[in-house]
Amino acid sequence: MKVEISRRRFLQSSVALSVLGGTALGATNILANNSTDIKSDTALMKKIPTVCEMCVNKCAAIAQVKNGIVTKLDPNPYFPKSKNMLCARGAAGIHALYDPDRLKYPLIRIGKRGDGKYRRASWEEANEYIKEKMVKILDEEKDNRSCIGYCAGEGMAEHTYKSFMADKFGSSNFINHASICLQTTVSGYALTIGGYGQADLDNAKYVIMAGANRAEAIVTPDTMDLFKRTRGRGTKLVVVDPRFTNTVAHADKYLAIKPGTDLAFVLALTYQVLITQTYNRTYVKNNFNGFEEYKNHILQNEYTPEWAEKITGISAKEICHIASEFMANAPQSIYYQGRRSTFAKNDFQLRRAQAIFTALGGGIDVKGGIVFGRKLPLGSHDINIPMYANAKERIEKGAAAIIGGSGSWIAWRNMVTEGKTPYAIRGLFVYKQNPMLSVPNTAKTKKMLEKLDLIVVIDTMPSDTAMYADVILPECTYLEREDPIKSFAGVEPAIILRQKTIDPMYESKPVIEIMNGLAKKLSKPLWEITKKYDEDVQEELSELESGDTEEDYYKDNGFDLADAFEESQEHINEHMFREKYDEDAWKTLREKGVYYPFMDVSFEKLDNNTYKYYEEYEKNFTVVKLEDESQQEEMDTCVNPKDIAEIRRKFSTPSRKIECSLASMAKKGIASMPTWEDKDYVKVPEGKFKFISGRHAQFTQNATQNNIMLLELMNENFVWINDKDAKFRDIEFGDVIEVTSKVGKVTIKAYPTAKIVPSTIFYIHGFGAKSTGMTFAHRNGASDNEIIEDRIEPVFGSAIMHDTIVSIRKV
Amino acid sequence: MNYAMALDYQNCINCKACETACKEENGVQLGSHKQRIWVGIVEGTIFGKPYMNFYPSQCNHCIDAPCVSVCPTYASHFISGGIVKVDPSKCILCKGCMEACPYDARFIDDTMVAVDKCTFCDHRIDEYGTTACQATCPTKVRLFGDLDDEDSDLVKLLKTKRFFFQKEHASTLPKLFYIVPDDEPYARQSIGHNTVIHTWDEFKPKYDAARDRRSKEWKR
Repeated sequence: MKVEISRRRFLQSSVALSVLGGTALGATNILANNSTDIKSDTALMKKIPTVCEMCVNKCAAIAQVKNGIVTKLDPNPYFPKSKNMLCARGAAGIHALYDPDRLKYPLIRIGKRGDGKYRRASWEEANEYIKEKMVKILDEEKDNRSCIGYCAGEGMAEHTYKSFMADKFGSSNFINHASICLQTTVSGYALTIGGYGQADLDNAKYVIMAGANRAEAIVTPDTMDLFKRTRGRGTKLVVVDPRFTNTVAHADKYLAIKPGTDLAFVLALTYQVLITQTYNRTYVKNNFNGFEEYKNHILQNEYTPEWAEKITGISAKEICHIASEFMANAPQSIYYQGRRSTFAKNDFQLRRAQAIFTALGGGIDVKGGIVFGRKLPLGSHDINIPMYANAKERIEKGAAAIIGGSGSWIAWRNMVTEGKTPYAIRGLFVYKQNPMLSVPNTAKTKKMLEKLDLIVVIDTMPSDTAMYADVILPECTYLEREDPIKSFAGVEPAIILRQKTIDPMYESKPVIEIMNGLAKKLSKPLWEITKKYDEDVQEELSELESGDTEEDYYKDNGFDLADAFEESQEHINEHMFREKYDEDAWKTLREKGVYYPFMDVSFEKLDNNTYKYYEEYEKNFTVVKLEDESQQEEMDTCVNPKDIAEIRRKFSTPSRKIECSLASMAKKGIASMPTWEDKDYVKVPEGKFKFISGRHAQFTQNATQNNIMLLELMNENFVWINDKDAKFRDIEFGDVIEVTSKVGKVTIKAYPTAKIVPSTIFYIHGFGAKSTGMTFAHRNGASDNEIIEDRIEPVFGSAIMHDTIVSIRKV
Repeated sequence: MNYAMALDYQNCINCKACETACKEENGVQLGSHKQRIWVGIVEGTIFGKPYMNFYPSQCNHCIDAPCVSVCPTYASHFISGGIVKVDPSKCILCKGCMEACPYDARFIDDTMVAVDKCTFCDHRIDEYGTTACQATCPTKVRLFGDLDDEDSDLVKLLKTKRFFFQKEHASTLPKLFYIVPDDEPYARQSIGHNTVIHTWDEFKPKYDAARDRRSKEWKR
């Protein structure tokens, strides 16, 4: 989405800015015809292609609709990323739609925060309530828009919500899932090799998967590609994990590691390939920046396999063996990037070390390595953004070396809770997120929510966080709305469209309509406040040319908050797509839910389980620009991936090469090269445990916790404890255990097992809801974030998830 | 037609997509013990080292199905292609079939007041050519097909691989073909040493004879 900022000071007030589509009359006509088509289609069609939202992967699905009821969700074979599959959560999406506990109407709080007493309200009433509070708060804060924070969970409509809160309303305090998810990993890779990329598990020959669990934390297409190729079928899989997971069950080699020591393991692998000179020297010569410095750093610090054995618990012999196998298979060898959370304080250095180690074998931007792929272009959608002179910058800027646009949840929350903000934070908008369960240290989140003057929750379910809201606005589920069109980068790129399968139930609405209603309500009253306090606006209004009214100024400069949400999502999508593709392509996208060029020619069903999407020569394995364009021909004719890897490229990093040393980091007090710091490693005291958390193939974080279909596959979580540790404490299966950390205490049933390393306990994230509105999820098991300490890693401010020490007691 | 299914069980990651898709497709009663389809897990330790094997499973649609022979009301019956089904209107809940089944593939559906089981998604075959469990599977464990069709993907696969059955000793001529992994250590870890390994050439005449013997019952 393109953002058009109207810098009023430099604009003549007579210039009318083009706001949103509606560029040509023709486009409007097409829309009018098309929308009637869609309507009649929906009534007749039994099968509507859509996109799953049960987790973040966005698999293509086909909804069977009978008499206005969604009866089945089938996989949609046309999407190369999801390759004709729907997992348990995807198939159970119907129960998200028909969950009896769904938020059905707008609600206004009548009890105390957290006790769940609400009254049904109309949309008008709910918006009026929000308006009154917002007007009062913004008047008191003198039009500092940033006094209202806002957070969001991942989703295709997240951007619509964000464009209201940030672009139109004008708050800088956005916090989303990134800092409790993959912010540090993604940034570590981006700063080192120019992008996070995608592991080409369809062609890799050797994969080290450390701390990632693709069998249980499903990622498409990684999960589908990998497990068809293990056990002598093309990929050798080495899994490094403190737990024996379902992924480990498929591994050729399993290495049990002490939590938080992965960096030592990677450094020792690096040491070994440097000392034996088994890395790809041509590649390093052509594509590395600062290699000698890094080499000396690794060798001088003596990160030997023997050194790593003492720290990680993995034998030196094993490390040497893996280093040699990895390089023997390079460049089709990958140290898998991993996703999800930050494990320990050194996570940024860990991800950098992983990226550099993969690059030492040449496995970047080459078939079977980490690839970047291409993205199909989409047109733009413009928003007229107003400027607020009094809106201040985000509060937690100084909490870590680099605080990005999605903030640091823990740092932000703690500042508000502890009253240490540079200006008052008075309210919070929450969309599709549940910080009560998803941010470490629930007690502090609760305290923060209790302090705020206004909390608005937009969600489909009455989550623990919703129970603290003053106003709850019911969003419809993904099956009841059209969402912004999305283009997926990859080896086989495609564009997908989430279409509405049935009309929104009860009084729920899609986000774009919720934002439109709220914007209409807020726009004029907030404009009055801006006029009262914004000196820039006052000055410009006083200088209006004759013939221009205040209303013109208000509209031209984007202060009409609703102008960005007036068109339907269907129209915006068509506009963005048709800017780049023709009418037939648009028809294909509507009919099949998926589009990519030449789909009609290259898509082919090979058998009932296998589909071909792109011709092999059309796949985008190698995409980074070459330093010497004349080598392109060589690249095209090479058959040996090693030769392709070695060609000199221009990576998207500052030096255009793989960055071994980041001098810019040193200035911020962060080690410029991956360095092991003994003092950062949290040791486990005698008799205590380190707590680790993780994911599960039947649940997505806490978003699916009330789904009856999934709950019958697992209806509560259990705490994993090493069987010897359990025996010593006389703990048996099903015994109730009290787990205590510095920040909280939970009780949970025990699962003694040999599948976890000693001195470590684990339970799955996403259980232990306390909201009485969640009939089925209510109090089954324990929430991990009640006991995880609220510490952040120093580079991007992400939450450290695996450094909490706990004690356990049988109760 | 003689419908059967091959399972490349070594692909299974125990994600339970099949169980959920089955319930949604067929409206199976809710409840963790009301499953037409399941993933069997065998786990333990060998010299202190953990191992875990997954065996996705469901009704074997045996050619000599004891559940059909034992049923006093003809509720359990064959339909075309040798699929074993239950007619809920005839079921008197005597549970004889549940006792007779070697695979524990049957359960009582309290909403229908009848015994329920896998139907190989017979209502889907014409339109999709697959079952819901096969279609939804992320790692494509299953392959449904017709043993009588030499050109089917199923027969093509069985011709190139060796296979075994669960509880073959029950002599019911089951039709879930478990594909023997090429990887020797994993094959040893996941296949019991008493298990008989079959090939298509050796297996086909035996099953053809059984089919000819029983297929007159398949028309009902």
